[in-house]
Amino acid sequence: MSHRWGMAVDLDRCTGCEACVTACRAENNVPTVGPEQAARGRAINWIRVERYYEGEFPDVRVKFRPVLCQQCDAAPCEPVCPTYASHHTEEGLNAQVYNRCIGTRYCANACPYNVRFFDFANPVWDKPLHLQLNPDVSVREVGVMEKCTFCVQRINEGKTRAKAEGREVRDGEIKPACAQACPTTAIVFGDLNDPESEVSRLSHSPRGSKLLEDLGTKPKITYLR
Amino acid sequence: MDRRQFIKATALTGTSATLASCGNPEYHLIRFIPEEALTPGIAVLKPSVCPLCSAGCGLSVRVIEGEAEVIRKNQLGVTKMGLAKKLEGDPAHPVNQGRLCARGQAAIQVTYHPDRLGHPLKRTGARFTGQFQELTWDEALSELISKLDSLAMANDQKSLAFLTRPQRGLRSDLVAEFASRFGAPEPIAFEFFSDDVLRRANALSFGKEQLPTFDFAESRYVIAFGADFLGTWNSPVSQSIGYGQMRQGRPGVRGKFIQVESRMSQTGANADEWVPMKPGLDGVLALGLAHVIMKAGLRRPEAAGGAGTLIEGWAGGLAGYSPEEVEKQTGVAASRSERLAKEFADQRPAVALIGGAPLAQTNGLFSALAVNALNALVGSIETPGGIFFTPQGRVAQTRSIDKVADSNIQLLLIDGANPVFATPPAWKVRETLMKIPFIVSFGNFLDETSTLADLVLPDHSFLESWVDSRPESGAKTAVASVAGPVMRPLHDTRAMPDVLLEVGRKLKKPLSPALPWQTFEEMIRSSEKSPAVIDRRYSGAARTVNFIAPQFDGDAGEYPFHFLPYPSAAPQRICPGCRNYRIRSRARCGAAGWRSIRRRPQDCRLVREILWRSHRARVLCGFPRLCRRGLRPM
Amino acid sequence: MNLETKNKINDDLLRPVLHTSPWFYVIVLVLGGIIVAGLGSWMYQMSHGLVVAGIKWPVYWAFYITNFVFWIGISHAGTLISAILRLVNATWRRPVTRCAEVITVFALMIGALFPIIHLGRPWLAFYLMPYPSERGIWPNFRSPLVWDFFAISTYLTGSTLFLFLPTIPDFALMRDRTTGLRQRIYGMLSLGWQGTTKQWHRLESAMQIMAIAIVPVAVSVHTIVSFDFSMSPVPMWHSTVFGPYFVAGAIFSGIAALIVAMAVLRKVLHLEEYLHPVHFHNLGKLLLTMSLLWAYFTFVERLTVWYGNAPAEMAVFWETQTGSYAPLFWTMVFCNFVIPLPLLGIRRLRTITGTVVASSLIVVGMWLERFLIIVPSLAMKNLPYSWGFYRPQPVEIMITIATFAAMAFLYVLFSKFVPIISIWELKVGAHPRRVLTPQEEEEAQELWRVRP
Repeated sequence: MSHRWGMAVDLDRCTGCEACVTACRAENNVPTVGPEQAARGRAINWIRVERYYEGEFPDVRVKFRPVLCQQCDAAPCEPVCPTYASHHTEEGLNAQVYNRCIGTRYCANACPYNVRFFDFANPVWDKPLHLQLNPDVSVREVGVMEKCTFCVQRINEGKTRAKAEGREVRDGEIKPACAQACPTTAIVFGDLNDPESEVSRLSHSPRGSKLLEDLGTKPKITYLR
Repeated sequence: MDRRQFIKATALTGTSATLASCGNPEYHLIRFIPEEALTPGIAVLKPSVCPLCSAGCGLSVRVIEGEAEVIRKNQLGVTKMGLAKKLEGDPAHPVNQGRLCARGQAAIQVTYHPDRLGHPLKRTGARFTGQFQELTWDEALSELISKLDSLAMANDQKSLAFLTRPQRGLRSDLVAEFASRFGAPEPIAFEFFSDDVLRRANALSFGKEQLPTFDFAESRYVIAFGADFLGTWNSPVSQSIGYGQMRQGRPGVRGKFIQVESRMSQTGANADEWVPMKPGLDGVLALGLAHVIMKAGLRRPEAAGGAGTLIEGWAGGLAGYSPEEVEKQTGVAASRSERLAKEFADQRPAVALIGGAPLAQTNGLFSALAVNALNALVGSIETPGGIFFTPQGRVAQTRSIDKVADSNIQLLLIDGANPVFATPPAWKVRETLMKIPFIVSFGNFLDETSTLADLVLPDHSFLESWVDSRPESGAKTAVASVAGPVMRPLHDTRAMPDVLLEVGRKLKKPLSPALPWQTFEEMIRSSEKSPAVIDRRYSGAARTVNFIAPQFDGDAGEYPFHFLPYPSAAPQRICPGCRNYRIRSRARCGAAGWRSIRRRPQDCRLVREILWRSHRARVLCGFPRLCRRGLRPM
Repeated sequence: MNLETKNKINDDLLRPVLHTSPWFYVIVLVLGGIIVAGLGSWMYQMSHGLVVAGIKWPVYWAFYITNFVFWIGISHAGTLISAILRLVNATWRRPVTRCAEVITVFALMIGALFPIIHLGRPWLAFYLMPYPSERGIWPNFRSPLVWDFFAISTYLTGSTLFLFLPTIPDFALMRDRTTGLRQRIYGMLSLGWQGTTKQWHRLESAMQIMAIAIVPVAVSVHTIVSFDFSMSPVPMWHSTVFGPYFVAGAIFSGIAALIVAMAVLRKVLHLEEYLHPVHFHNLGKLLLTMSLLWAYFTFVERLTVWYGNAPAEMAVFWETQTGSYAPLFWTMVFCNFVIPLPLLGIRRLRTITGTVVASSLIVVGMWLERFLIIVPSLAMKNLPYSWGFYRPQPVEIMITIATFAAMAFLYVLFSKFVPIISIWELKVGAHPRRVLTPQEEEEAQELWRVRP
């Protein structure tokens, strides 16, 4: 059975603690650019927690929303890429082929969620921080776009393990770093093709909605409010 | 260029490139023989314990073979070794159940930090100037031993002091053992959250001198007084797990959560209702709620048991805490506190908690006792959805940091605490430490406190050493975690417990009785597999408490609140109304010295951060454009 | 045509080519210096990465793409105008066409550089080309950037041919007037032109074909450039009006650039006898039409957005209308419409000075228009949390200045080596009967007749 990876993010559970953000950086070798460049908008966050404030003091409400690549089925980033660096995999992921990327940044413009990031400079890890780099994830060089992969290295590892053990991938067996870290279980990852999976169940929840659904991008992430 | 020329040129450039690379000192490094056999590319998960806060979350560390520059026997070289790549929560651990907070995820960089100390250091310049020179471990240890010996010679063992983190486990046991066998007083535990006040309150109210564990997963109604329980306070991961379950873990039931505090914390941002109030009056509001509950006959005063009798006027229904009186004092509308009280009593199970800033007020103990009484009133002590106390084993006694100033300390050993950075200047910790003749730090970094040290004996990072933890809270069952080193050390560092044991063996006047272990590993291995749970009932003199107004040191203007957002999180545009993203709102005097914010109409509608500090408020503006349009995101 | 007139035309128009004033070297040095500084900036940017530029998350396109669209727009000066004027056989066009065509070629060359300058990895720009890669990977033909690549390369080829064809007789003329190496080069460029009837005939047919072919190419090029934006679901980009809006804007800025260039040439090369007030007057009328058309498109674009009242678009709309981009927006409106309207609309003001002032403003205004289309939309996409603000950095400003210098530099060099006004066309235009035999004239008239 082919997979169709998806995610559900329960905003009622999310506390905005940003454990997902840190976990993602640690897992995916996301470069840090330093405070000065971050202030100039060069920070890279494959997942970020958006904060929105409502109301007048003292009746202020804050809402958190983790935003990562929505892995759209009709992704606006894909057709615009002139070199196929941004393309759709068989399992429905929006993959980014760093070697094909020439850095037009067109995909980032087309992405309504602003979840694609450009490497403005070659990443630097002061010794011995480079020892932390995850060997399963390539380090991106200057001038390419990078984005959330749904931790494709974990997906592949999980599938390989399941295959080696001669079984199907179990629901909840594969977790991206963000879902794994999330203390409140706000992030649930799984196979949307499996109707029994937790993520399928949550995706059909009446509380669910997609981010910027009216743009017709068919995101694979469902937000539950 | 013909073919021959081309080949010549290629050969020439190739040779010169090779020669040039020979000049790079990195290629001259010695290659050590690998000390362990790992399969390249295959990840191994090794257990460890997160040391960054006292919650003691269990870690599962992903280790993969890699090449690292290491120091072995004072020689820099390259070796193949298992390297920690990522910290993940241990799914089997009862506290964090496979989850890990942002801080825990980042803890791996303690090991790989570029500024980590790789050698023992001895101070050469004046204190706080950061002038140090490297020395060998033998020199460093003999210096420490001679200092300890001279204290013993002078029969002045009492003037040795340990300053440690508030962690419960064998490491702190060892420190305490060392201190007591040397003849020194118990170690000083430095912690920032004033949790000692809550421990004392719990001891008085419930006979348990420890921090509580909350069963949020079963709660239907939660009122938190200042406790940033989703952020940093107590056991944040375990509390977050419970919070998630409380919100959406039960079909058809969604727990309600009220946060009462003076500054909107990350936890407050998640509340269904954020109730801002005047600082230091949390106890008044808690008793106000209790008053309403008792007056409406929803609970009888006796229901609170011992916790209630501690509060003056409890049996009489707390006549002085009518909603109107509470409104006058705290600024929380009478109708609101009445409603909250009724909801709190109606929704079962309900729980109230207090932590963080209210405890740090001068009347913190009163506030904590008031909240305890409120909890006891609705029967949320050791019942599902309420407060529990994690069973505890033996706990090493510690002193509070304010003892530093009182005692005549000649030699201070600091293990992992940085009070110079973490305390307000009014505490004058730095000045106190400056007076101590000799300070030894076991820190990994030259932080604000380590720069005061005369001798720095860098510890292994937690990934390189034996670690253990017996969390005080976070699980309903007793928890003790022990883990071996995850990877071999990168630098010329030594584990602090091993150093203590070695020093103890080499003292001229031996410890009495001598510590039986050669290494910390031995100590851990010989420790009981399942330490006995000791029911430490506290029996203090029961004395009723009454409200005391909080006191503030000096003028608020002396302690400007610095909001230091990450540059990336800073508003990207200057607010047109105030010309600055950090504005001080024009405060207007209201009743009883209470000031409220009045903002000019051109100021932002959306409030990015609302920060209250004693009786002053500042507003940080976020997206000014958005507010001008009256647009609300979402 | 008598011999004196003929010689005078030859002398006047060949003077800049055959005689060099010291000012030429000064200008070349100054402009060359600026270009070298621009190239240096580009090298600096390549070695450090785009971190030195002002672009940031989420404003990933800014100055470079503004310049790209601007220069592609300017390139519509020439070919399109000259082709249309040729097709409608407007005789006053003769001294104007070559100035215009040159602008096209150079503006395109400069404009086409910018997509490469702005790339994260410019050394891999060849991935845009359909080349036989060993892995059989083709460019993504669904991407407007690939369409751009084809459109611009077609247009560049076409407009170069369109410039080159009518220059052949003039190359021949110069071949006959020069010696040594220059003669050999001009000889090569003149492709063995002898001025035979057959050659004239073929030249005219070729130019007629090119004039017809280049118009749809030019229109499509700027439409495709507009597709770069309108194909993305970005607020205020995703609009059907962008195609014609961009084409109109392109012609608008192109005519303005042409008028400025003509005025400079007229002054510097003393061509007062060839570039008459009537040329400025006529082009001024064209410019007025385009200004009205531009204002109409801008109004239509903004009105539909405002009326539609979609939140994401309204954020961008108000930001440009009254927010932090408002100074730029209203400067643009003044430059493109409010000031040019009286200057071009009132006959008395439509002088050389009047049109040149209006044109200079329009060039500035149209650059701002490109900027205002690109940056505010990107800075304020759908999720307000990710809004940003763009500030250009020295590298971007330097490269932008350098491209203006490059345009002037190439123009100066071109007018140094090739007569900037078509000599033979001028001669033909002045006295066609005396030059051509009756038979040839018949043929010529047959050729130039306007087709229904």
